[in-house]
Amino acid sequence: MRRRLYALAGPLALALALPAQALAADEPKTDPTKEFLLEPWIKIPKIGPIDLSITKGVFYLLLSTTILLVGTLLVVRHLRLHPRKLQAFVEIVYDFSETQIGRASLPAKTYTTWFPYLATLFLFIWINNIISYLPLPVDTEHEIWGWLPTPSFYAATSNLSVTLALTLVTFFASHYVGIQNNGVRGYFKSWFPPISGPINILIVPLEILSQLLRLVSLSVRLFANMLAGHLLVLMCVSLIIIIGNVFVAAASIPVAVFFYCFELVLVANLQAFIFALLSGIYIGTAAEPHH
Amino acid sequence: MALEGNVNEAAQNLALGIGTAIGAIGPGIGVGYLIGKTIEGVSRQPEMRGELQGLMFLGLALTEAITFYALLMSFVAFFIGK
Repeated sequence: MRRRLYALAGPLALALALPAQALAADEPKTDPTKEFLLEPWIKIPKIGPIDLSITKGVFYLLLSTTILLVGTLLVVRHLRLHPRKLQAFVEIVYDFSETQIGRASLPAKTYTTWFPYLATLFLFIWINNIISYLPLPVDTEHEIWGWLPTPSFYAATSNLSVTLALTLVTFFASHYVGIQNNGVRGYFKSWFPPISGPINILIVPLEILSQLLRLVSLSVRLFANMLAGHLLVLMCVSLIIIIGNVFVAAASIPVAVFFYCFELVLVANLQAFIFALLSGIYIGTAAEPHH
Repeated sequence: MALEGNVNEAAQNLALGIGTAIGAIGPGIGVGYLIGKTIEGVSRQPEMRGELQGLMFLGLALTEAITFYALLMSFVAFFIGK
């Protein structure tokens, strides 16, 4: 237990060293919202309107994918009957995603096809959320000793493009599953209430609207939670610079630590779980409509 | 009374503050109600604790997100048009 506390103290101390970046600047000004600007690190010429430059967000996406691939490959290549620590951890995560996400949301006939997607979604968002709270040297605006970028926070999931792309996959997957299982007519018929008459004119637009609003709610929920979480911690720490009084630290640093722990322990895990679970529910209800 | 100074900027600042504050009222009530009802349920049937807690966290995440929609729209008002 004590060792774990020490392990936590490292990232926390690094996180609290963040105002160093503002002190290093010429004018004593800091703007936490600038942390969310994406400046290309490696420029790749645009292909039409598509910009494929490597930015901070791309770096975080690649990092999380690498962690996932290396971690799972390490475990899968040396499977043991009596699991060691890493394997036991991966087994717990798998068990959780099977019982809490897969079995809870998908009907039996679509389970084998779509559980891998949900588990991947959960793990990808989860790892992204967790590594976003580790201070990594990614802030290219300021540098320590002239070469090392200052440690900073950024989450790939605090970018609307990433979450919207994930949501679009779920959106199209749910309609695909619906049409596959019920046929084109059967699926779109399930959008209509079983009663006929003029009330249909009222209900059908609502149903279509709710289908489209899923795109907004699912993507914005994850995006806004991560953005607000990072902004809150950064803002608490930057308050010292903005107000310009060292004694503000006595109040704002404990608040920052509290929100840091709250976001890392609760919100980061919960949002990944919610995103995967709601994706599963959308796919599951499309496969077996209630009507 | 004529307004002096940068009225646009003042309005944007007010939009950020008031928008976030009003947006936090509803979810605040919702989260309180949700957790209160969960406590009520657990005190009635303590053996259901695990299941109720799972449902509570699901509802918590869904309710809490509404605050952030308001926050997001306030940020849009704050940053766009500057």
